[in-house]
Amino acid sequence: MSAITLYVILLKATVASFSGFGSLPQVREDLVVQRHVLSDDALNRAVLVARTTPGPMGVYLVCVGYEVAGWPGAVAGWMALVTPALLIVPLIRITKQLVHRPRVRGALDGLVLASAVLIVWAAVPLSKEILASWQALL
Amino acid sequence: MRQIISYVWSNRLTLVVEAKKLGGMSDSIATARPTLAGLAAVVARDANLTFGGGTATSEVMRRSLVKRGWISHDDHRDLYALSRLTPGTNLLAYCTGVGWLTRGASGTLVTLLAASIPSALISLAARSAYERLANSPSIGPVILLAMSIAVALLAASAWHLARPHLVRSLAVRSSILVALTVVLSAAGIEPIAVLALAAMFGAALPRPS
Repeated sequence: MSAITLYVILLKATVASFSGFGSLPQVREDLVVQRHVLSDDALNRAVLVARTTPGPMGVYLVCVGYEVAGWPGAVAGWMALVTPALLIVPLIRITKQLVHRPRVRGALDGLVLASAVLIVWAAVPLSKEILASWQALL
Repeated sequence: MRQIISYVWSNRLTLVVEAKKLGGMSDSIATARPTLAGLAAVVARDANLTFGGGTATSEVMRRSLVKRGWISHDDHRDLYALSRLTPGTNLLAYCTGVGWLTRGASGTLVTLLAASIPSALISLAARSAYERLANSPSIGPVILLAMSIAVALLAASAWHLARPHLVRSLAVRSSILVALTVVLSAAGIEPIAVLALAAMFGAALPRPS
């Protein structure tokens, strides 16, 4: 997979999420389930690295990019990580007019709550795999 | 939120001007303009060396930035709220907003790079170390335990996001939204489509005033 394609895929996931791991469900869907260029094990490893090192949680995308396409993939992952952050600048401007409108506020509420549910949804298969590993170990 | 946004755009500049006129130093008012190098150094240290996620890190950054007079407490509050509404990683949006408020476009670029490049390199180094450790047979239970903790922390992240919506006044609305998300996900709908539908539902049924 080319770094540009990977960047587009990861960017699609990050712009549709509202937390560091909010992009995880879409990343898993695209790279593990649909394209088979990443294993659940490698995705787990990326999540583990991000959770056990300091800094932004979304940095797991850099590891995901590296797993898929080496160093160019890591750069693609980093770019997908930082690109949405720039949206805060226009957001500061436009929210002045829009955020107090109930329907806009309601849409944001819906996005945030659905993001939380999708994180849990993505964690379920990971949990099953870990549980099976524990059972095998014990 | 309306008050927060109104404050930023209606009062912030006025308050800064008034502070300069008075020559006062207050942590509720931004009083100093950082150099780009100084801004990069503080953001790089706080954003890349703090454990505990975006909320913990932004609190560490608040202390550093307010202490130097680069932003006010109110700036921090506003930026934190807006960063939660920005797609992607909230902490990076927060840092970008700090750069924008303190040094404009150049500050935006500097803070974004300072907050993301060191942690990206740290994570790649940690991944490499993890791979080497994973080949050791004795390390298996340790790694399995760490992975279990990682999944638990994912659940904690989800709880952190959902908790403000799990109050009695929003119970019906939130329950429908959670059920809708689960049903759509179980039906194999792509997450991005699920999120779009959730946003449409939220807009159609806004929270009670």
